[in-house]
Amino acid sequence: MTTAMLTEALASLTRHRGVFGALVADADHGLVVEATVQHGVSADAIAALAASLYRKAQLSSRAAGLGDVSLLRLEAGGGQLCAIGCGEVVLVVVAEARTNVGLLRAEMHRAAERLA
Amino acid sequence: MSDDIRRLSDELARDPSSLVYLALGETLRRRGALDLALKVALRGLERHAHNPAAHDLVGRVAADKGELERALEAWTMTTRIAPSHAGARRGIGYVLFRLGRAMEAEAHLAAAAADGDDEAAAALSRVRAMLGIGAPTELEVPAGAPAELATEPPSSPPRALRAPSDDAARTLFAETLADGEHTALLLDADGFVVAGAYVTEDGEDVADQIGAELSGVRDEAERMVKHLDLGALRSVVFETDVATVAMTPVGDDAMLLLAASKSTPLGLVRRVADRCADRARHWLSEVA
Repeated sequence: MTTAMLTEALASLTRHRGVFGALVADADHGLVVEATVQHGVSADAIAALAASLYRKAQLSSRAAGLGDVSLLRLEAGGGQLCAIGCGEVVLVVVAEARTNVGLLRAEMHRAAERLA
Repeated sequence: MSDDIRRLSDELARDPSSLVYLALGETLRRRGALDLALKVALRGLERHAHNPAAHDLVGRVAADKGELERALEAWTMTTRIAPSHAGARRGIGYVLFRLGRAMEAEAHLAAAAADGDDEAAAALSRVRAMLGIGAPTELEVPAGAPAELATEPPSSPPRALRAPSDDAARTLFAETLADGEHTALLLDADGFVVAGAYVTEDGEDVADQIGAELSGVRDEAERMVKHLDLGALRSVVFETDVATVAMTPVGDDAMLLLAASKSTPLGLVRRVADRCADRARHWLSEVA
């Protein structure tokens, strides 16, 4: 996938109402590969924390015999975060708490297929 | 068809996920309609796989039918979910005695009697009287000769649902979980199981392992919401190869963990998790 295609995939996610930002992070090290985020949003912090959370869920799920994690969603009072693993990278979206998760989830799966 | 059986059947038809099948199955059993009672019990079990009363009902019907191995299996499963289930423990003692395993029967009944089960104590007295007090291990009671032990399988209501707090904790979510496709655990801050059960298809309770392995996810999630200033953590949901797992904070340091089969719609997972969390909050406020 070219950088332009990656940027377009992330842009399609950030066009959703309530989305603050979308990024692709290295799954092992939590470093930003590509990001499209609103002003004031720290892509570096999101990448590091989201990759860490996804990795923890992945290891825990495997240890519990539940297999690999395909999608993770964190919901908090002030926002939510969704992450999908795509091989060596993690696709992450941060959005308002009220954002339509069903639509976002479907769009993330489409974007993840393009990343794979 | 009698009025009460018709009424219970109608009620079950209106709400197939209700627990009325327990009363219907028991009524049919008492009327001697054993094949139908077993059918009702097994259908109920499909929806309420973690309900000890469902397994107990299968045990009672199977024992009535003379299917002792099946009864033993059902009652063993009952005690895995609710270890102090008095009816199941008496049932196991009864079946073991019928199978000629008198020593094991005596041990089961003695354990139940030691926990204050008067009916088990009475059965234990009869067993010991037949075997010889103090020397039960030397005797082998032939199968089919236990008429003095009990004239029928234990049929009293399942006491476990109203007695020991240990069982109350293990079965905390049994009614909230409408079918066997979900299982729920309440974990403390260290990942120890406070309530609920996680029983695999082969009957093994892996709640401790699951709780310990997955509880660390909450710590990581709390770290994330704090650093990103996202407010209070409401839930973490992750979809895996075989399941959807939802984790919801309950109070300051407990967490509700719900695991549902992968085929369960995500909206339903969220609703069931919310109901279980409410149940857990209510229960914690009662036991505090």
